[in-house]
Amino acid sequence: MLSFIIRRLGQSLLVLLVTGLIAFSMFRFIGDPIDNMLGQERTIEDVERLRTQLGLDQPFPVQYYRFLENAVQGNFGVSYRQGRPVSEILLERAPATLELAAVSGLFALGLGIALGVFTAIRRNGIASNFIMSASLIGVSLPTFLIGILLIYLFGVQLRWLPTFGRGDVVDFGWWSTGFLTESGLKSLILPAITLGLYQMTLIMRLVRSEMLEVLRQDYIRFARARGLKDRVVNFRHALKNTLIPVITVMGLQIGGIIAFAIVTETVFNWPGVGLLFINAIQFVDIPVMAAYLMLISVMFVGINLIVDILYVFVDPRLRVDSAGGH
Amino acid sequence: MLHRTSALVLTAVLATPAMAEEFQWAGRTDPQTMDPHAVSSAPVLGFLNNVYDGLVRMSKDMKVEPSLAESWEPIGDGEGWRFTLRQGVTFHDGAAFDADDVLFSYERASDESADVRSWFSPVTEVKVVDDFTIEFYTNAPNPLFPASIANWMIMDRGWTEANNAARPDKENGNFATLNVNGTGAFKLEDRQPGLTTTLVPNENWWDEAEHNITRATFTPIQNPATAVAALLSGDVDFVEPVPIQDAARLEASDGVNIIRGIETRTIMLGFAHEADTLKYGANAGDPNPFKDVRVREAVAKAINVDAILQTIWRGSAEAASQLVTPALSGYSAANAARPSYDPDAAKALLADAGYPDGFGFGLKCPNDRYPNDESVCQAITGMLAQVGISAELDAMPVSNYWPELRADNFDMYLLGWSPGGSLDHEHPLRFLASTPNEEKRLGSWNFGGYSNARLDELLPSILSEIDPAARQAMIDEVTALYQSEHAYVPLYTQPLVWGTRDNIELTQRPDNFFILRWVTVN
Repeated sequence: MLSFIIRRLGQSLLVLLVTGLIAFSMFRFIGDPIDNMLGQERTIEDVERLRTQLGLDQPFPVQYYRFLENAVQGNFGVSYRQGRPVSEILLERAPATLELAAVSGLFALGLGIALGVFTAIRRNGIASNFIMSASLIGVSLPTFLIGILLIYLFGVQLRWLPTFGRGDVVDFGWWSTGFLTESGLKSLILPAITLGLYQMTLIMRLVRSEMLEVLRQDYIRFARARGLKDRVVNFRHALKNTLIPVITVMGLQIGGIIAFAIVTETVFNWPGVGLLFINAIQFVDIPVMAAYLMLISVMFVGINLIVDILYVFVDPRLRVDSAGGH
Repeated sequence: MLHRTSALVLTAVLATPAMAEEFQWAGRTDPQTMDPHAVSSAPVLGFLNNVYDGLVRMSKDMKVEPSLAESWEPIGDGEGWRFTLRQGVTFHDGAAFDADDVLFSYERASDESADVRSWFSPVTEVKVVDDFTIEFYTNAPNPLFPASIANWMIMDRGWTEANNAARPDKENGNFATLNVNGTGAFKLEDRQPGLTTTLVPNENWWDEAEHNITRATFTPIQNPATAVAALLSGDVDFVEPVPIQDAARLEASDGVNIIRGIETRTIMLGFAHEADTLKYGANAGDPNPFKDVRVREAVAKAINVDAILQTIWRGSAEAASQLVTPALSGYSAANAARPSYDPDAAKALLADAGYPDGFGFGLKCPNDRYPNDESVCQAITGMLAQVGISAELDAMPVSNYWPELRADNFDMYLLGWSPGGSLDHEHPLRFLASTPNEEKRLGSWNFGGYSNARLDELLPSILSEIDPAARQAMIDEVTALYQSEHAYVPLYTQPLVWGTRDNIELTQRPDNFFILRWVTVN
């Protein structure tokens, strides 16, 4: 068991290192940050001086090694654009992204399960068919288009909701929250729907098909034969057994929600880490890009690691084939 | 749209009604620093003009006018300039302004760590005469010096030194990166880099306030569609720039005004003048045809600028004949004509130069630096094909573009130039037309290596001539020179398109600086 966990940890570390290496080799193709940092009146001399100062004249494996060396000590460098420590900037932007991800995750889970159950129980009803067809549109439209459509409808035409930003926020230490003000809550609605729509339809379809599967099982028929009420059969017996795969999928989707927040954040000018990353790409702000990519890969690798370990606990068969041989 | 309050004062803030003259505006780029000497870029200098003052400033029609200096005069026969400073001016923290602050700001802005230090390359010495008189000595008579320091902003010595920000630090930042203590019309209330920046009026400003703003918040919105939606919904009062394709639609909608003007940036084509061979396209490796002035003239005649202006710019840009626009000083009115569109003449010139069947070459172009840059290059490629020369277009993001140009990886390229600093014709002459010379800091953007001995000879005299007529005569001569040699093919001047709510009055300055003190909210 322990050797399994150690081996998984080792593999995760390797994945992280490779991700970082690929990221660093890509930075050269994004462009040269020097021209963005120096004004129109720079000389070639200034360009070379700054390049040496930033260590950009070194080959990328050396740059990567230096980054790792500092990152291990918790130092992600200083943003080329803002001239402030990257860790400070990321910490400042993280609450916006995490709150948005949490709200859209809850939205996706809540509405997804409700609609999934509804369409499974009334599988041939008009409403179900309508929801199923509408969900296809939701899946096939790209996020930015959904965002723009929502902004146009609710922001520009109806003027019910703000078109961009996070509204007023309240600070608790380093954490800033939009949950406590009216404008903060209003600002959350459109981006959360935009970000969670895809996951919502995914969960809905998953719940529906699982539910249909479960409803065919013998124990459901048996329950009905015993004369239990529909509500008890559907929700206590059928839904409970449907949720196991849903929770697994949702766990993996959390990472996706945070990583794919980039598009939503750009459309809504949401002040989170995704918007920060997009701005960093335009400016070729290598320290910010590197830290963000490492953070996202740590998150994905971490979630996968936890899921793997949980499986071992859940499924004893996985424990047998470990390397040592018992 | 993001205000920050601490949990303690939340209830008090919620109880305060929003004031009528709160002004929200959005722009494309966040000023990357609040330090006026660290970075020489339009978003930074434009923004900081609202909180800092210079010795002189630009008026609504781009004329030099007094600011912290009440008057200035040449010393002797052009050994330098003497500035008489305004008395009774205070910085935002209450400290008094005097000549020592000017001297300090000079030392700070001309330091090696300052991006703006090239403004002071002609300065040899600065002398404080008394508390309100200061002299700048220059290596040669310098008629443009007062205009060239319009964006040089004065900082307080005491505040800056006390906060360990005596020198700019762009790489690691310092106190002045996030904080402001200027003499300007507005004070910095809150600064969150990349998110929002909030300004409030400075009640103790030395000049009479024209605006009626009580609080102004700037939000960078990068996505143009989001910015347009925010303007339409009234979430912001002012947006710049408005995408050209949205301008007409916005003009038609209720509650929104579109303000159009012409910018100071000229878009042009540049050539490889020095290279011996072509580097790209079908004839890569063959001798470089662009060394022949007839070929360059053929290119100029093959491009239908009017068609580009009509189709791509929808009539909002203006054709350009030279490296500066008519709005700027030193514009050569004597050379206002540009080569006419004449494909037959272009073909004849090419045949004459020994290319009756044309040739293939590479055209480099940015795709995110100037509005419509890539579409313009595509149009040019098509027009050149009609006279028989086929360009292999390579468009790329600007962060890849400058390194390519620096490495001489082009046969022909697209360039835009806005004469920051002096806002005079001398600026592109120095950077684009002069023979590259690292030591003298000349021709640093002359990627193609254009060189003309007469132009190089006249440039120092243009820089130092005090008599405006004699100076203009030399500029006219030089302009005629680079035009006849088709060193560059000037194409057009970009439009400025701003959008406001219809209750906002403001002034659009051709350098694209948004000056908050000229805003009235009705």
